[in-house]
Amino acid sequence: MDWLFFGEISLAGLAMGGLYALIALGFVMIYKATRVINFAIGEIMMFAAYLFLAFAGGMELSAWIALPLAVIGGSILGGVIEKTMIRPMLGESPISVVMVTIGIASILVGLVEFIWTADPQLLPNFLPREPVFIGPLYLAPKIAYGFLIGSALLIIYLLYFRFSRGGVALRATASDQAAAYSMGINVRRVFNLAWVFGSLAASLAGVLVAATGGLSPQFGIIGLSVLVVVIVGGLDSILGALVAGVFIGWLETVAGAYLGGEYRMPATFVVLAVILVIRPYGLFGTHEIERV
Amino acid sequence: MFRNILKKGRKLAGLGGLVAALTVAAPAMAQDKEPIVFGGSIPLSGVFAFAGIHLHAGLTDYTDWINSQGGINGHPVEYVMEDTAYEVDRSVAAFKKISGSSSPATYYGDSTGFMKAIASELNSMGTTLMSGASFATALTDNEQYPYQFIPGPNYSQMFGIILEYIASEGEGGDMPTVAFVYSDTEFGKDPIENGKARAAELGIEVVEEIVTKPGSVDVSAEVLKLRRVRPDYVVFHGYVLSPINEFMVQMRQMGLDTKFMGTFWSSDKLIIDKMGADADGYMGVMPYNYYDSEESGPMLDALRAQAEKSDPDAGYRPTGYIQGWFNAMVWTEVIKRTLDAGKELNADNMAEALASIKDWDTGGIIGIPVTVKDMSFPVGRIWRVNAEAGRYEPVSDWIHLD
Repeated sequence: MDWLFFGEISLAGLAMGGLYALIALGFVMIYKATRVINFAIGEIMMFAAYLFLAFAGGMELSAWIALPLAVIGGSILGGVIEKTMIRPMLGESPISVVMVTIGIASILVGLVEFIWTADPQLLPNFLPREPVFIGPLYLAPKIAYGFLIGSALLIIYLLYFRFSRGGVALRATASDQAAAYSMGINVRRVFNLAWVFGSLAASLAGVLVAATGGLSPQFGIIGLSVLVVVIVGGLDSILGALVAGVFIGWLETVAGAYLGGEYRMPATFVVLAVILVIRPYGLFGTHEIERV
Repeated sequence: MFRNILKKGRKLAGLGGLVAALTVAAPAMAQDKEPIVFGGSIPLSGVFAFAGIHLHAGLTDYTDWINSQGGINGHPVEYVMEDTAYEVDRSVAAFKKISGSSSPATYYGDSTGFMKAIASELNSMGTTLMSGASFATALTDNEQYPYQFIPGPNYSQMFGIILEYIASEGEGGDMPTVAFVYSDTEFGKDPIENGKARAAELGIEVVEEIVTKPGSVDVSAEVLKLRRVRPDYVVFHGYVLSPINEFMVQMRQMGLDTKFMGTFWSSDKLIIDKMGADADGYMGVMPYNYYDSEESGPMLDALRAQAEKSDPDAGYRPTGYIQGWFNAMVWTEVIKRTLDAGKELNADNMAEALASIKDWDTGGIIGIPVTVKDMSFPVGRIWRVNAEAGRYEPVSDWIHLD
């Protein structure tokens, strides 16, 4: 076995997994706080990436100004979606809310096709292009720097949840909505905050993934790949999202390298099936018992 | 004297009137004949919309142009289409609707999937000849798809042209090595087995095969695999843009001097527009002259003039536009040959007329006379990106496969 090759493949997979973890974090934050499975997460990523294209490509702003603008734009979009389309659905059946998110995804695809046309796009280069070596191991620069930027946001998030008032309110609401409400936490505001922060994480991941693999109105399909990550990790577990994201990214890459690209998805779905059989609520998810 | 001038003037006025009346009457006479309908399931939205809008523009502009030339043997042409969003069920529904209401003589199919799905119905109808966006090898099976043709080389033939070019670059018996990179789709896999067989015949070693998801995908692991085998050429198929750019950029970052090539749908100017300087040196096989090439000819000039007339601000027209135009050109030629032979305009007679096309001068759309073989036009040329000039330039002669 060529261990150098295995090491390089693993490194690439872990780095890509870091971006999956970031997307999964956005997914889990929204679900944890609001119990909404957001099928539009991929399209929110896509929209933010198109915003970056507009700011950095169309308006020729510096990429380092365009990146925060695009990410903020994506998070505002998340907040607006929650306030105008999800909040009125409070109390409705979960299926109805899921259908609303699917509808939102379609609207966003139509919107970007209308504004930016259906042409495939490449984002302006904004990450260093010099090859990155970790010891003897080569890592593609876009993946390496994308991983670093994504990790920085992950750390900021974890610190925020641990120490800030907003983070505590978010965690309290996620644990027990009724108790949080009775303690004076503005639960509706927390719902909105979860959508804003979840969309922010997804938006940053969207720009970083699009910088690596290109952009088109079908870009949002990656959101479905991340569904595997969150189910494996546990829909309501931030730790699960991080661990499963990195693991699925690694597994996909190794399977692709050794078995062929057509086995990337089957490999992850085998893991998904096994996890669903052994732990239906995911590796780190909450095992809820409903008593009738 | 004055009376003579007046008399001549009256005569001239009468003659002028007659000419004017005939000029006005000619289109009216053409209008008197039954219109010939070009039908189409066109992907104006959905994943293929980036090409669909240009295919549609090419078909529309050709229809306007041929009508301005008096139609086909005096028959006006109508182009009737529906948007399909590149979904097979919607394409089938559009076909049924247009077939029921307009009886199209020819029809544009938007995908291989649709053209395969509709084959049995098309065969049983026996009224319509079909071509479209697909260059699928399977559709050149005359037994199964007798009324469908490919408006260029099929994907296997494109690989054949690419491999002939690569073989011609071998110096002193030192044959270059090649890797195939293709998407995990029916489209992507189409030419691979035939490509491997052709490579073996030419003595070219296929050192690696990489399969990826189509579109936006990280390919750094696949690039690492290619670094180990260091192919002289990488041939892409089943993509439009991504991940071709990432393969090229990352392999060059690793110091590899591999050359990169692609087939029809991955050889448009989009690659240059989006990749900029990184696209330099990329090569594609193309059966038609590019809109901005230095080539010319009566039909290519007419295409450019019509494109300019229909949308003066559009500038460069993508290969999809030329593909749409060429489809309609072939339909016209086939219909004309059928009518000239005094035969009924049905699928059998049109397929027979198509098969009779030999050494056909396409007026500069294709640079050499073309002959139909197995319901396709097995001809193409290798073009290379000159990023500084912002266009493709020919690096081979036209290659017509036997």
